[in-house]
Amino acid sequence: MACFQRASPALKEILLKLYSLEKPTEIEHHLHEYGSVQYHIQSSVPDPQHIYLSIATPLLSQGDLLSDGLSPYTVEMVKQICSHAIEIIEPAKEGYELTLRINSAKILHGEESEKIITDIAAVQAVIISSRLKEVLRNVNSPTLFQGISRPIKLVYHPREPFFVVKQPQKILIIYPIRFKEDTDVIIATAFFRELMDVGSSEKWSKAPPCCWSPIPPPELRGEPLEELSTNGGFVTFDISLHHVEGKRLDNTVWSLLNFNAYVKYHVKTTRGFIQRRMRRRLEGLVEILHQKSSDVAVLNKGQGIKYMKKLVARTKRIKQKCRSLSRKIKRIRFRIKIPGFARFRRRWLKFPKFSSSIQYTRLKCSD
Amino acid sequence: MATTLRLYLTCIRNTLEAAMCLQNFPCQEVERHNKPEVELKTSSELLLNPILICRNESEKCLIETSINSLRISLKVKQTDELENILTKKFLRFLSMRAEAFQVLRRKPVQGYDISFLITNYHCEDMQKQKLIDFIVQFMEDIDKEISELKMSVNTRGRLVATEFLKQFI
Repeated sequence: MACFQRASPALKEILLKLYSLEKPTEIEHHLHEYGSVQYHIQSSVPDPQHIYLSIATPLLSQGDLLSDGLSPYTVEMVKQICSHAIEIIEPAKEGYELTLRINSAKILHGEESEKIITDIAAVQAVIISSRLKEVLRNVNSPTLFQGISRPIKLVYHPREPFFVVKQPQKILIIYPIRFKEDTDVIIATAFFRELMDVGSSEKWSKAPPCCWSPIPPPELRGEPLEELSTNGGFVTFDISLHHVEGKRLDNTVWSLLNFNAYVKYHVKTTRGFIQRRMRRRLEGLVEILHQKSSDVAVLNKGQGIKYMKKLVARTKRIKQKCRSLSRKIKRIRFRIKIPGFARFRRRWLKFPKFSSSIQYTRLKCSD
Repeated sequence: MATTLRLYLTCIRNTLEAAMCLQNFPCQEVERHNKPEVELKTSSELLLNPILICRNESEKCLIETSINSLRISLKVKQTDELENILTKKFLRFLSMRAEAFQVLRRKPVQGYDISFLITNYHCEDMQKQKLIDFIVQFMEDIDKEISELKMSVNTRGRLVATEFLKQFI
């Protein structure tokens, strides 16, 4: 599996750090990238000028196609990176395919140095691309293939192999698509449909035609069953000779190598997009509900205030009436005074006491 | 809005207006308990007949009413696989945040995508008309949101496909 950036960011950082060191120090790093590329970087105190970089890349193909080690074409491509500053060590460090000796003294200072180090950090991309380039270049050779349309399985990542099939006028690149989750499969399927749709339009007639099918294409007939069992179907690109001619070869190879990573990245970002949008929508929906309940609260609050005001006003009025009535009574009672009226009232205007039939009357007991 | 959708929503609105006459009613089985009868279904005399309103086979609304609570279950249309996963994802997302809505049920009724549970307390806190408005607007918004999401995903896919093919030219 390749990544979108050709230069490995971690390797670049380490090389820049080593390059900018003033004091010679003993450094040894082991890096594993994308699960299949390994780096070993070594710098020693007795030999401070030289940095040793060893690389192990995944096996590209079935054993019968390529021999162990790097092909001369790949070696040639590596040498072209920065011939004056790097040197290929033979044999390579044990467990690695390629060992480079980088002479830091020969790397120019300033902005140029960063560019050279970036190029060196992209060495794995050069190796991987050159391998596929070699396959695409050799695909015309009849001696390489026993059958004319026998598929070649390329493995850059153990879980993401793809097939190259030679046909009379074109080369077919077939990707079996596998995802862990069903959601990813559906998003990827929608993308493949769009890819087919866009690719078939006149505007993109120069781009390689793309085809997606849920079942294996007939070109893969005879391959082992585990290779053909997928949940995302198969994507096929028809690469014509004009797609791999001249300068286009490099771009085409890099795009084909990155296709799986590209699809996975799209699926991942689409999931993120859906999640962001759902969160925003949730906020909107909750806002509607809260708005409604706050309206109700304001409404209730307003009603309550009005009611209380009415109640307070009514009680005030009642209190005023009571006060005026009591004042009137006082006036009646105290201002008009008739002498001897109280005695007259006690004598003649006395209410008789009525005894209830239910009540008990106390009996006087006679001795 | 499509005529069929308007009719469907109007029908739901009218049914909800008729059904949402809830009152406080304590549990008949357990003393000092007050539970939504539509969930427990212990006393048949407290339950009304459930009403099923269908727009088509894939879009329907079930309204179950009881004396103190009302349950509304919705099935949202899913015409293809993409709509299916978008609906599932979105409604699951909402259900997991049910506390924000107060009336949303965490788990939908079997056979439906999302369920609401409205009790008499909700009717006391919020106005009945506003609650009905919210449910109807929620239904409208969900439909709109799923359609927009689907379009956005396809548009993104198209743009990404265009960018990929640009590399070959």
